[in-house]
This record gives sequence, structure tokens and C-alpha cells, in this order.
Amino acid sequence: MKAFFTILICKLLRFVGKLVGKGSSLPGKIALKLCPDILSRIELPEYIIAVTGSNGKTSTVEMIAHILTENGKKVAWNKEGSNQIEGVTTLVLGSATLSGKVKSDILLIESDERFARYTFKYIKPTHYVITNLYRDQLTRNGHPEWVYDALKDSIYPETQLILNADDPLVSHFGYGRDNIIWFGAGNLETDSEELVSVYNDGAYCPHCKSKMTYSRYHYNHIGHYQCPSCGYKRQDTEYTVTSVDLDNGEAVINGKYAISLALKSLYNIYNILAAFTVASIVGIDGAKIAEDMSDYVMKNGRVITFNLGKRHGTMLTSKHENSISYDQSIRLASEDKRGCDVMFIVDAVSRKYFTSDVSWLWDIDFEMLNNDNVHEIILSGQYSNDLAVRFSYTDIPKDKIKIYADIGEAYRYLDGSREEYIYVITCFSDKNKFLGLLE
Amino acid sequence: MKILHLYHDIMNLYGEYANVKAMERIFGNSGITYTTDRLSIGDDVDISAYDFIYIGSGTERNQRVVLEDMKKYKEDLEKYIYNGKTALFTGNSFEMLGHSITDSNGQNYEGLGIFDFTVKEQNKTRITADAVFECDFLDKPLVGFINKCSEIQNIGTPLFNVKMGIGNTAEDNYEGIRVQNFFGTHLTGPVLIKNPYFLEYIVSLIAGENAKLNTEYLTYERAGYEVTLKELEKRVKETNG
Repeated sequence: MKAFFTILICKLLRFVGKLVGKGSSLPGKIALKLCPDILSRIELPEYIIAVTGSNGKTSTVEMIAHILTENGKKVAWNKEGSNQIEGVTTLVLGSATLSGKVKSDILLIESDERFARYTFKYIKPTHYVITNLYRDQLTRNGHPEWVYDALKDSIYPETQLILNADDPLVSHFGYGRDNIIWFGAGNLETDSEELVSVYNDGAYCPHCKSKMTYSRYHYNHIGHYQCPSCGYKRQDTEYTVTSVDLDNGEAVINGKYAISLALKSLYNIYNILAAFTVASIVGIDGAKIAEDMSDYVMKNGRVITFNLGKRHGTMLTSKHENSISYDQSIRLASEDKRGCDVMFIVDAVSRKYFTSDVSWLWDIDFEMLNNDNVHEIILSGQYSNDLAVRFSYTDIPKDKIKIYADIGEAYRYLDGSREEYIYVITCFSDKNKFLGLLE
Repeated sequence: MKILHLYHDIMNLYGEYANVKAMERIFGNSGITYTTDRLSIGDDVDISAYDFIYIGSGTERNQRVVLEDMKKYKEDLEKYIYNGKTALFTGNSFEMLGHSITDSNGQNYEGLGIFDFTVKEQNKTRITADAVFECDFLDKPLVGFINKCSEIQNIGTPLFNVKMGIGNTAEDNYEGIRVQNFFGTHLTGPVLIKNPYFLEYIVSLIAGENAKLNTEYLTYERAGYEVTLKELEKRVKETNG
């Protein structure tokens, strides 16, 4: 009876919450108070698919849900991205009957890296995707190995791991385990022999801490690595991006499934690959997945196109305190052959908690903007001084850089006589400070 | 001037390489000739040849690897420090100079033993905080961020007075260690970029008080410092009600 009432109350709270536009973590929080082991009392579906990692988990989960739904599967997933235990509880109880049975074929959970160990104590994933471990919100997360240790506690022997083979730290979750499903990129035209990044988190072997070597880099420290000392190396992949053509926007998986890209970037391709892998495991045909993913435009609002006076632009919502997220946005802008202006806004470092730390700016590879495609760079927001200092340590010519601490002033400058395409690169916490000016 | 950035590729979290860049720029802009060596594990370094040594923070596992490698420099570093030469160790790098480091499993690692303090790690919560630190050698406080998992006992000559943030232990109001011109602090990131006044002070120790420094170019650095200080002080007021 206790479970019945807890589910009922959770559903009611969620219903009311939706009416008044409240987030999805409170109902789960109250349910956990009423019945702390409520999650272990629920009858779960055959597939419990979890996705975690520093970057791309929200997008990957959305893609998986899209493909599975298109193919007639009933999927329960945390659409709002409340990815800590409370949000997951709301999701599970919300999709359960009052007798405690989840009505969907598949439970699909995006989980926060640091809280997965609490969530999965009660709901053990049958399949567990780990996308990558990057320097991300280090003001809370410490560093990637700290997150690795926290995540390790969330992995159970009976869970099927699905790992990104190109990330040396993520791959180490598979060390000494059988039956890992590996995904990754093969030899791509966009690869480089040399590292393109300010720092190298693949410099030392995650297993024995000797120096590692790479035969190719896809981006940053993601690539084909091997440790000459202990033999730790990138594993062969079952699901592989075999070629990419970013100019024409096409990626091919396993040599035969061509996908037309709505967003022409490598990080988007990795998300698609992870989703492809999961959907294949669930039994969807590769050709059908490729069709469902082709030109699929994400609904999570991370890429927004806009008009500013007579100018056009794209906002690439990136994560502050996450240099790889920035690097990927910067790469996209810097490769636009039409020529463009690029604006950065750092006004609040985080939307969820207070910090004034801007050390992460020094891990971003702004030097990539030093080419003829990029005409002007506009720095704005409360921390524009710190951006200005950071740019003074690049070789980008000073006369290309404009600094307006006030976002409104930067906006008025953009609304001038120039005609270039505009990329605005900023975070969730700051994006509306710019978008709000557009009406 | 000879600069040494030691363990540059393994003790390099939080963009800390920029501390050395800041040093190079102020030397360059002041017409002081300099060379920089970026060296790491397995290199054979003549510590005494340098005028400034910097080491940044690393993961706990990387710190252990570095500690092993660094033991060969114990005597050289001790001499360097007690000869009054200048060094800055940020984050968990200065922990290695103490008596011992105990990890979250209770395993004990012997430190270089140049200083008497002991370090104890835990793996439950990351200890993080924005920081405002005062010191007796500057009129203005330092701003920055603390990111660690350890507490340090038995530091007799701390570097800073904690106005905001976390000290060497949770109860302690003092942070870091200063012995002559050796500066050890758990402040992480580009401390010398974020704190132009601290940079000027450190450089004057290296180049001598009579050296003519050009600090005029530090306009955005100073403005950035003021914004952060203002934000942090506002935060202190809010927190204190």
C-alpha cells in the first residue's frame, strides 16, 4: 500500500508541477522521502538503458528516444534532463501504473556522472552508455579521474557496458571485463597526427601512468592511443564511423549507413554513433536508423539560428567550464568558409551555483580562430576582461578583437554596417541575455 | 632569467600553464631576457640553475607518479628554497614537499620531507570554493579558486589569511605555506594572471627590487581582478546576511 500511495502522490505532484511550470525533481524527492526504497519496488521493463558522460548525454538520449519511438517502441525517458536521482524517480514513477509496473518497453535514463552511483543502486541498467570524460565543471567535479572513480561505483557486473573506445579514460571502465560493446571513429579525413588542444589529457596512460602515444587524433585527446609500456590501447570497435564529410554534411557508419547531418560537427557525429549503437542493440535495422537520424534537428535548443537586423547567425550553446564543448563550437565557426564574426559571452559562469572562476578559459583553444574565415571577434559580459586577457595570449591580431562588457552594447555593435554571418558562443546561463535582445 | 616549468604535462589541471606564460610576458615586456624549460617525468634537472620554478596541480594519481620522480630532487630543492630562491607551487603540488600524504584508503606515501606538515586525503566530497586570501606583503587580497580533496596539518608559516574560502584544514583560517621565497598554495588555475599585483610582487623577488618592470600592459588583468574581487565580496556579504 505504501508503494501505491507514493506512486499516486508522485504522479499528482508531477501533474500539478507541470501545470505551474515547475521542474521535475521535486515529486521524486518527496517520493523518496515517503518511501526510500520505492525504486526497488517497481517492476521495470526488459531494457533499462542509461547514458552518462561529460558531454553529449542529453543529445544522445534525445536521439535514442527519437529512433526508438519512430520504430514503434514505447520509451519512458527524462526529457527535461533532470538527471539526478530525484528526477529519475519522478520519471520512473510517472511512467508506472499504480500497481508499480513501468508501462514502457524501454526505460531510458540520462544520468549525472557523480550521482549515477546512487540512482543505479536501485535501478540497475541493463545497458550503460558512457560517452566521454572531459574537464567539465571542475569547480564542482574536481577533475576527470575524480569523476571516473565516482562513476566506477555505479557499474555492476551484470550490466552491458557500451563504451567510447576513442576516449582512453572511458575505455578503462572496460579493463578486465568481457563483452564490452565498443563504438568509435575509424580513420577519418578530419584526423590529425598532432594534438590540437591546449592540454593533453591523454598524455599518460590511465592504467599504468606511463607516457602514451597516438597514431591519430580525432579531436583533443580523443583518438587512437596505445601505451608502449603496459600495452593498454584503443579497442577495435563494433560500431564505427567509417567516414565523414563535414563540408557536405555526411557521416557513414559501418561502411554502409550514410547519415545526412543537420549539425556538421564531430561531436554531433559521436552522439549519433552512440544512439545508432543503442538502437541496433535493441534490434532496429541500421538502414532504418540512418533514415531516422538523417537531417534530424535536435529539439533541446542547443543550436539556435537567429536574425539580427539584416544579419544572420547561429548561437552555439556551449558549456562554460567545459573547454572541449567550447573547442568544438570554435572549430565549427572557424571552418565556415563564408567568413564570419564570432561573439563570446561570459557573464555568469554558472546558472546553478555561484562561482567567479574563469581558469577554464585557459584550457580553451581560441587559437583555432586565427584564420581568414574569422573576421571579427566580439567579447562580452561581466568577464570580458578575462576573455580579453586570454585572447592577448593568442596570436590573433588585436584589431580583429572588439570588447564590450555590456551585452546590449555588443548587440548594437553587431547591428551595424557589417554583413558577416555571426556565431554566438555562450552558455545556458547567458544565452537569454543575448536572445532576449533580438525581438 | 631561467624559468623552470616542472611536470608541465602531468601537473597541468585548470589552465595552470598560464602562470608561466604570465612570467614570460612580464620579463619580455620589461626587457629582461629569459629562457624557459618545460620538463617532466624522467628528465634530469639541475634545480640550482633556475631563478624561478613553477609546478601546478594534478590528479591524485598523477601526483603520486610525480612524487616518486621528484624524490631525486629532495636535496636540491631544499637548498634552492633555503637559499632564498623563488618558487610557486599551486594546488596539490606543494603537498609533496611535506612529511607524508595519506590517501583515502589509509595508504601512506612518504613526502620529500622538506617541510614538517602532513596531508590527509578523502574521496567523499571534492573541497571547492571561491577564495579571497589576504597576505602581509600585499595591500590587496588574492582572488581565485580552491579545488582539493585533502587537509594539511602542521603548517607553521602559512601564506594567506582566509577571508573567503577554505584554509589548510576546515577549522583553519590560514592557507598555504611560505618559507622564504617559496610559495605553496591550494589556489588553482592561472593565479599569476588573475592576480596581477601578486605577479608583480613575485617578479620583483626574482629580478630584484631595483629591476625596472613594465606593468602598464596589465590593464585588462587589473580590470578582471577588480570585477572578481567585487563579485566575491558581494557574495561574502550575502552569505553573512
